[in-house]
Amino acid sequence: MVRTKFQWIVVFIGPALILLMLFLIIPIFASLYLSFTDFNVFAMTDWSRARFVGFRNFVELFKDDLFWKALFNTFYCLIVAMPTTVVLSLLAAVLLNRERTLFKNFFKVSFFLPFVTNTVAIAVVWSWLLNPTYGLLNWFLSLFGIKGPNWLGDPRWAMPSIIMLVVWKAVGYNTILFLAGLQNIPDFLYEAAKLDGATPWQRFWYITLPMLKPTTVFVTTMMIIGYLQLFEEPYMLTQGGPLNSTLSIVLYLYRQGFRFFKLGYASSIAVILFLMIASLTLLRLKLAGRD
Amino acid sequence: MRKITLVFLLIITLSGFSFAERVLQIWAMGEEAKNLNVMVEKFMRENPGVKVEVQAIPWSAAYDKLLTGIAGMQLPDLAQMGTTWMAPFGAMGVFEELSDYIKNSFVNKDLFFEGSWQTVEMNGGIYGIPWYVDVRVMFYRTDVLKDVGYDHAPQTWEELYDAAKKLAARGENMYALSLLYTGVFGNEFMPFAWQAGGKIFDEKGKVRVTDPEFVEAIEYYARFFWEELAPIGGGNLFQDFASGAVPIFFSGPWMVSMIDQQTPEIKGKWSVALMPKKQTRTSFVGGCNWVIFNTSKNKDLAWKFIEFMTKPENQLEWYKTVSSLPAVKSVWEYPELSNNPVMKVFGEQLKDAKSPPNIPEWEEIANAISRRVEEVIYKRKTPQKAAEDLEKDIEKIVR
Repeated sequence: MVRTKFQWIVVFIGPALILLMLFLIIPIFASLYLSFTDFNVFAMTDWSRARFVGFRNFVELFKDDLFWKALFNTFYCLIVAMPTTVVLSLLAAVLLNRERTLFKNFFKVSFFLPFVTNTVAIAVVWSWLLNPTYGLLNWFLSLFGIKGPNWLGDPRWAMPSIIMLVVWKAVGYNTILFLAGLQNIPDFLYEAAKLDGATPWQRFWYITLPMLKPTTVFVTTMMIIGYLQLFEEPYMLTQGGPLNSTLSIVLYLYRQGFRFFKLGYASSIAVILFLMIASLTLLRLKLAGRD
Repeated sequence: MRKITLVFLLIITLSGFSFAERVLQIWAMGEEAKNLNVMVEKFMRENPGVKVEVQAIPWSAAYDKLLTGIAGMQLPDLAQMGTTWMAPFGAMGVFEELSDYIKNSFVNKDLFFEGSWQTVEMNGGIYGIPWYVDVRVMFYRTDVLKDVGYDHAPQTWEELYDAAKKLAARGENMYALSLLYTGVFGNEFMPFAWQAGGKIFDEKGKVRVTDPEFVEAIEYYARFFWEELAPIGGGNLFQDFASGAVPIFFSGPWMVSMIDQQTPEIKGKWSVALMPKKQTRTSFVGGCNWVIFNTSKNKDLAWKFIEFMTKPENQLEWYKTVSSLPAVKSVWEYPELSNNPVMKVFGEQLKDAKSPPNIPEWEEIANAISRRVEEVIYKRKTPQKAAEDLEKDIEKIVR
């Protein structure tokens, strides 16, 4: 009896497990091992040429000023983009949840579109929007007499431009999540609060926000994971420039690993990134579980 | 039922016959891949029983495709290989060494331009055969230059700078020339260093980027940005060229037909010229080579195809198909090329053109050059300080 059960478990989980092992678990441990070797271009076809070098990659990484720059840029993006995305998508969700809002489905689709659009296409369009001389954004600013900055060409403005793009792209998805959260809040809570004389603001603050907590935890956790892996947007729009002001950790990893073929060094970056994401996510979940 | 079985058997036997012919697999990129069938059909007519399969790979995906192909050892018989990719992929040890093939063939070093042949030589071996070359020259608007008093292209560094000053003085959002300032532009910057007499390594392999010649090139390059003669975060190259906002840029032969296609309104109002002279007028030579992978089971056939593509008449035909520059010197004497004023400039420039050092670390060095020159462009460092940092970077990379 127990035996047949086990067989069925294997039949159902087996294929998924094999795929998971092959494409996720084994590569993770392989890259952990690689991070302790000097795997480079000469070892690509003959793995025996990679030597074990202990912690040398990590020591070098901590002395690498571009790595610190990339670390700074990535956290810059996370710290600005995360709250902005939460506020904007919550706002959009609340507005969409109102009974009086017209064209709800139209707005839902419009907000969601950027999320499902190919980043390559988005990058091309945005590079035009952000163009300093012909761009739509600077034309719009000029209507108010403001001379817009050279968005992607100025080291101070390049990262804010990237953040604008990633937030714009992420808001739609998170709006849908918040909307689902909002619709799960039972109406009687609001009715009771209304009877007790709570203002709309109080209802939002004392009912909506606390009831949305599970959604908020999920959304922010996913954002930590997502924004720390910032790659496509700077890769397409700026290639990390100007002056490496948009160089993200993953972009640096890509460069080291797949442009310079220093897969050992790149793996050590991946390990550091993995540790950072894991610890921040755990921290976030712990904070959520405490209260 | 029996009928169906019979038909099946027939189909199987017939398809068996078609599999009997030898198949040559080729990876080609971009426009070349789209047009290669012209040559492939001719090759198949000359070699009955041979089937050539061309897999077209877009340039943007080519690098990753080659990398995964090498890692998984899933490679074709031969492939088109960008000259700057020869070293990194060559270092992985997947290219067939061709000295033995050359011994018994009309294909040899003397057929090709020197700068082009340099890209196939590595560690004393020959790992490819040049297919076509590209060399960067100066594209300029004859009418716009005339308006500021230049009835000829700027010939020297001084003239280029002087013309640039006058061009930028035309008004707001008016610039002189387009140069790269971010991303990886080692291959675009190096001609300036070579023109000044600078080099990255000397014969002994010592890093020489702090030489005054190299530093001067950095300063000359960056000055175009300091004085707003070259745009930062600019628009579309074609539009700016057509409107006259940016009337000079440096690029390769593919631009000739692209300008005609994208901006036909300026036909007859632009021309090409040699690079400006400091000590020399050296330019960058690139292009593509043919390589045979050592995993191939059809190496003899692959070599036959390379020989076919190297024949002068086929080089000429290929030039007529996509107007890429022939790597074989003798082809340049055909009237199709020698009577064409634009091609004449390219032919002249090819005699003074270099390729970057053929080492697998070049990509990383090009990155370091770009980073340091960029710091000078944005005035974070002096040219001297940037060159000193670059020296340390390169020493660390090649150590």
